Amino acid sequence: MPTVVVAPAIARWLTAEPGSSVGERTCVVSGDTVREVLDALFAAYPMLRGYVVDERGALRHHVVALVDGVAVADKTRLAEPVAADAEVYLCQALSGG
Amino acid sequence: MTPVSDRVLVSTKKGLFTADRGPAGWSVSGVSFLGENVTLAYVDPRDGGWFAALNLGHFGVKLKFSPDAGKTWEDRAVPAYPDGEVVGTADGKPPQPATLKLIWALESGAATQPGRLWAGTLPGGLFRSDDGSRSWELVRGLWDRPERMHWMGGGADHPGIHSILRDPRDPNVLRVAVSCGGAWISTDGGTAREVGTGMHADYLPPELRLDPVAQDPHIMRHCPAAPDRLWIQHHNGVFKSADGARTWAHVPNAAPSGFGFAVAVHPTDPDTAWFVPATKDERRVPVDGKLVVSRTRDGGASFEGLREGLPTEPAYDIVYRHALAIDGTGERLAFGSTTGGVWLTEDGGDRSVDGPLRERRGRRSRTRRPAGQAAAVEQPQQPHRERCQVQPRERPQERPHRPRPLHHVKLRRPRPHQCVGETLALAPLLLHVQVQHV
Repeated sequence: MPTVVVAPAIARWLTAEPGSSVGERTCVVSGDTVREVLDALFAAYPMLRGYVVDERGALRHHVVALVDGVAVADKTRLAEPVAADAEVYLCQALSGG
Repeated sequence: MTPVSDRVLVSTKKGLFTADRGPAGWSVSGVSFLGENVTLAYVDPRDGGWFAALNLGHFGVKLKFSPDAGKTWEDRAVPAYPDGEVVGTADGKPPQPATLKLIWALESGAATQPGRLWAGTLPGGLFRSDDGSRSWELVRGLWDRPERMHWMGGGADHPGIHSILRDPRDPNVLRVAVSCGGAWISTDGGTAREVGTGMHADYLPPELRLDPVAQDPHIMRHCPAAPDRLWIQHHNGVFKSADGARTWAHVPNAAPSGFGFAVAVHPTDPDTAWFVPATKDERRVPVDGKLVVSRTRDGGASFEGLREGLPTEPAYDIVYRHALAIDGTGERLAFGSTTGGVWLTEDGGDRSVDGPLRERRGRRSRTRRPAGQAAAVEQPQQPHRERCQVQPRERPQERPHRPRPLHHVKLRRPRPHQCVGETLALAPLLLHVQVQHV
């Protein structure tokens, strides 16, 4: 099953004290597409959904998902395939410094 | 119970700070969400619960609720625009999908409406919750008006609802103001709407200047004891209404200028209002570099500048639309500026105490400084029905009135010999100062 790695800047919201330093959060989930993988991640961590996608389900403008190092191009449909041994890395875009 | 406020909530780009009034003056007593951008704080007058709206930038808009005055916080739902909804731009660009950009206003329902909340947002949606913000519904009555597609962003990419006023006499009467989309009235809880007329925008093309939907009311406030009496600080000047926002009259005597963002209205005297003007829209700094609170006590016929306690050196602070507030007595006024300064007065701005505020070093030594973006003054909890029956606070006869100075609870910038750790690094932008009425 694919592995999802949530970067510290996002994973910190999973803590009781969001300002505290946390590391990456790794989760092995099921799914054949980016959408399915994210839905599985949100099933494990429901509060993450609002931080990663907007109310339409699209990746937030300044959040990026990389599948084995390649940024997902269609941030709305999230239909790119994800291999069983792939890694999906979620992190904040660095736009704006 | 006195309606005097002894607490100020300061929402800032660096967190939500609480300042309390103690025997020695105002001091910062707590902070929540340190380092995060808190865009709005609201105290529910029905139960004293605190709401805090955050804009986490990359990670979206969040809403938090505290049942215990900031000790603990829990996540609440944020308004969500339904699939397929779009927002116009009014400048030729194609409509864009409507997604939540900012919670810009919160208003409680009446005491007879437990759980009801109203939220004003960018990009222009009014939302209602009937379960204390655990879920939200877009109010279609305003959203579906064809005029909405002609609203414009004012200083932002999208239009936004920044003012929601529930009529204390009738919870079905709402008055809402939009930048840029005029002032709207509902008499049945959000469904039927009409737009107020009489404002003008000289900066627009001639055919649009009187268009009520093209107006940019920066903020709209009413007198709680006389809700048909309202004031607007408009992009183009000061306007007032005496008929519940249906018609508006320009106030030409606003001084030292008519431009600004904020207005506060006295809780029981609709002829008294405060402003913090700037030079003009093309030059958004205080007139002559002198920060001043402007007050009228005669319905706008005349204005007086209140400067005591404010910086005597050139100051370039701007006070945004939510950053000026009055308490239930009409005496405690708080405002915060874009440089991170917060000032308070305890006598409606009258000040005869000598000395500029920033030189009050003794007081500063007892004051911890917050970082600043928004401030609100919390009042003691009262039954809602008392909200419109606020009586002036009685002063003990044995203590003659001594006007109190503005208290600068947060330094605008650290002084050379001050410990930065002591001052708490100040946020550069203070967006929201609010005195809560209960």
